[in-house]
Amino acid sequence: MINDKVSQKIVDIIQNFARKHSLWVLAYGTGCGAIEIPPTMTSRYDAERLGVRGAATPRQADVLLITGYLTTKTLKRVIRVYEQMQDPKYVIGFGSCTINGGMYYDSYNTIKALDRYLPVDVYINGCMPRPEAVLEGFAKLQELIQAGKADGARKYKENLDWYRANQKEVIPVWRMPEYNW
Amino acid sequence: MEERKKEIIQTITDHFKDAVSNPYDGNRVDFTIPKQQIPAILFYLKDEMGFNHLSHISCIDWLEDKQFELVYILWSYTDRVKVFVHTRVDREQPVMDNIDMIWRQANTYEREIREMYGIRFAGLEAPEEFLLEDWQGPPPMRRDFDTYAYAMKTFWDRQEARSNAQDVRETIRRRTGEELPDFAKKYSR
Repeated sequence: MINDKVSQKIVDIIQNFARKHSLWVLAYGTGCGAIEIPPTMTSRYDAERLGVRGAATPRQADVLLITGYLTTKTLKRVIRVYEQMQDPKYVIGFGSCTINGGMYYDSYNTIKALDRYLPVDVYINGCMPRPEAVLEGFAKLQELIQAGKADGARKYKENLDWYRANQKEVIPVWRMPEYNW
Repeated sequence: MEERKKEIIQTITDHFKDAVSNPYDGNRVDFTIPKQQIPAILFYLKDEMGFNHLSHISCIDWLEDKQFELVYILWSYTDRVKVFVHTRVDREQPVMDNIDMIWRQANTYEREIREMYGIRFAGLEAPEEFLLEDWQGPPPMRRDFDTYAYAMKTFWDRQEARSNAQDVRETIRRRTGEELPDFAKKYSR
C-alpha cells in the first residue's frame, strides 16, 4: 500500500494542501525589510488569512523570510537558523538586496546574491516590497508547494558541498556546528 | 548666550595658549588644539566649566594632508552650549590618548574609531574586535580603502541582474497590455 504510486500521489496532495495553508514565519528580521512585516501581519492586510503567522523559534517555523541585506555577520546566524529548522522548510528572499545586492552592491560587508548561500524558493523584488507584494510572494510559494516544486531544502541537502564552499568563501573563520544530514 | 560663549572662549584661550578658537554662530563654540593637550582641555571643560556630557567623538580622514582629525563634541546642560574640540593626528603613526577615564562612553567611540580608521588609543582596555567580525582587510572607513573593488573581489556579483534591469512599468505592460509612457522607456535596458 505504501509503495502504491496512486495512493502516494493522493497522500502528497493532501500533505501539500495542509502544508501550504500553515506557513509559519520565523520572527527574525535581518535588514530594513522587517518593517514591512507588521503591516502585513496586522489587520489591514492580515496575512493570517493565508495561514501565515509568526513562530517564535526556528524549530517551529516553516518559512525563513530574509528581509533585506545580509552582512557576513548576519549570514552566519542565518545559516545556523536555517540548518536548525525542521523539514519542510522554505526560504523567501525579500527585497532587491537579496537578489543582486540592491543599494548595498558596493558595501564591504554585505553579500550580493542570497541563492549562492541558501536555497531560495521565492524572490520578492522591490525596495521595499509593499505588503501586497509580500502577500503575492506568499501566494506564489503556496502555488509552488501545492505543485510540489518548493524543494529548496532537498536541493540544499543534495548540493551541500557547493553551498558550504560558497559560505566558507565569505565567512573566513568557520566556527559552526556540523549538523547531521 | 553670546556673553557666555565669549566667556568660555576667553577662559579656554587664557588657560591653553595653543587653543585656537574658530568663530561659529548659534550655540556652538569651536576650538582647535594640539593632540597632547586633549586630555587636559577635556578635564578642564568637564570639571571647571560644567560640560558634563560627551555627545560624540568623530573622526575625519584628511588623506591629502596625511592626517586624521578627531572631533570631541561636548554639551553643557546648564549653559545649553556645545563645544567642539578638534585635533589632528599623524596618518602614518596614528596614536591618540585614551580618554575613557573622563567619560566611560568614550570607550565605545574609541573602539569604533580604532576598528574603522585604525587609530590606536594608548591605554585603551577593550577587546580588539568590535563591530566587524573576523575582519581581515584594512580599516574600511579610511579613504584609501577601495570599497567597490573590495566588494567585487570578495562577494560574488550577479552582473546580468543589473544590466537587464527593467522599469516596473515594463512588467505591467507585458501583463496588462497597458501603454508604456515615453519617459519610462529609457529606464528599461
